[in-house]
Amino acid sequence: MDGLGGGLANVDVTRLSDADKQQLQQFAINEGQKARIQSSIHSLTDTCFRKCIPAGTIKNGKLDKYEEPCMRQCVDRFLDANIVVLRELERLRQ
Amino acid sequence: MADDSKMQIMRQVQQEAAMQNARMLVEKLNEHCFERCVPKPGTSLSSGEEGCFKSCMEKYMSAWNTVSKQYVARIQRESASGGLSL
Repeated sequence: MDGLGGGLANVDVTRLSDADKQQLQQFAINEGQKARIQSSIHSLTDTCFRKCIPAGTIKNGKLDKYEEPCMRQCVDRFLDANIVVLRELERLRQ
Repeated sequence: MADDSKMQIMRQVQQEAAMQNARMLVEKLNEHCFERCVPKPGTSLSSGEEGCFKSCMEKYMSAWNTVSKQYVARIQRESASGGLSL
């Protein structure tokens, strides 16, 4: 992370206009959301690769006709399960 | 001048994010493929292990792309229908 400070050493944020500050704030919010989505994609790929690609040596680089739908279904079912958890917690809270 | 520093900050943040993303992909890919392709590490990487690694890399990246498309499509569907935000 020291690249961030290093590259921006000559930037003085206090000299930015209010409009620029606001725009940067929105930019930061958007980037944060994108980063969270990226992180979920990494974790889902990790989980679903384990489930969908059979253990052992890998001979072919392409996803085959079983693996590809398995990966897609794995994503959707994981999110369904997530919704079930949230609904159940919501119910318990009431 | 002010506009310039704003652009500089944005560019820097985006570069950092892309770097972090690539680093994460490489880390995960290595973890999975090493597990599968090199079950018993020998004195050197055999050609079989190397071939497995190349296929495994390609497969993991395809899997990542598939997950990415599916996940983004799902979020868009959920937010359009006003459902639970994931």
